Amino acid sequence: MPRQQFPADLFGAIRLNVMPTVQMTQHLYRFFPQLENRTITVSAGSVSEVLRAVNEIAPGFADYVLDEHGALRRHVMLSIDDTVVIDRKTLSDRVPDGGTVYIFPALSGG
Amino acid sequence: MELNDTLLLRYSRHILLPDVGVDGQARISGASVLIIGAGGLGCPVALYLGASGVGQLWLADGDTVDLTNLQRQIGHATAAIGENKADSLARSVRAINPEIEVQPIREALSGRALHEVVTAVDLVVDASDNFATRHAVNRACVQLGKPLVSGAAIGFSGQLAVFDTRRAYTPCYHCLFPDQTGEPETRCAEAGVFSPLVGVIGAMQAMEALKYLAQVGELLIGRLLLWDGLQAEARVMKVPHDPACPVCGQAARQAG
Repeated sequence: MPRQQFPADLFGAIRLNVMPTVQMTQHLYRFFPQLENRTITVSAGSVSEVLRAVNEIAPGFADYVLDEHGALRRHVMLSIDDTVVIDRKTLSDRVPDGGTVYIFPALSGG
Repeated sequence: MELNDTLLLRYSRHILLPDVGVDGQARISGASVLIIGAGGLGCPVALYLGASGVGQLWLADGDTVDLTNLQRQIGHATAAIGENKADSLARSVRAINPEIEVQPIREALSGRALHEVVTAVDLVVDASDNFATRHAVNRACVQLGKPLVSGAAIGFSGQLAVFDTRRAYTPCYHCLFPDQTGEPETRCAEAGVFSPLVGVIGAMQAMEALKYLAQVGELLIGRLLLWDGLQAEARVMKVPHDPACPVCGQAARQAG
């Protein structure tokens, strides 16, 4: 019996209906405990829009990760779908439906 | 480098590996490596590279061994308290492998001295503990076309990446971490560090260094490994080259 073929775009179609997820390193939960032990989902949009959406859940979050110009603070790193974002100033990279944003610190200890 | 019978026996477990063999071990034994920092990361890096037979090791650190270091900096003995870390670690490496040359540098390398040593080696391992040193080492490696194995660790978390900007369109340390000089830094002395974490990250730095020298496997070039020891989770990120990078970007290269 021939194997059933799934439509080529099936998984893409599923992905389109899933909101982006925001994940972060543990140490951020110390400052924003309301983000811990939950799946953080936000609307698709630019990195800047995603961070503002997280700020709606945890007021003060944007000030913690962004400087006075709206750029990522220097010790804050961010990736979209496991690719590090290098536009740290305009934060215009798009976070797609189904995408994952991960926020982590730059470490220097040795 | 030609390996005599004693060396063939000493490194036989490397040589047995089909990916390494006599040729790979000869490349390791003929290589020179600079390790910046003889602390938590530098200790395991130096001990593994020394035991593996890297022909010439340069160990640079201006600090002295302190009682609080001994919980994790496994290249230093209690009797070494008060001694320069590069000297102490060099002695430990020589005790494991007297067949190699170990050169302690009793200062935090910078400026011309940093350039001179980077020029003389095949590879640099950054095991330092601050962003200013990390960026200075990166600039020297980019300018002199030397590969850089970079590791960092604090608390339960570690990061690891390899940079070699001789490979087109691959990032340097600055592409990944823009210059943090002047930013407040979290230090082990303030935040703490779980002892084996520096062993995990340092051993992975040694692994990447030896892979480069032996010319085996896939290096972490253009990628960043994040290790969360508390959750026992690893992530590997892709790291793009930044065309506007002031260290390795087009403008910097033309200016240099």
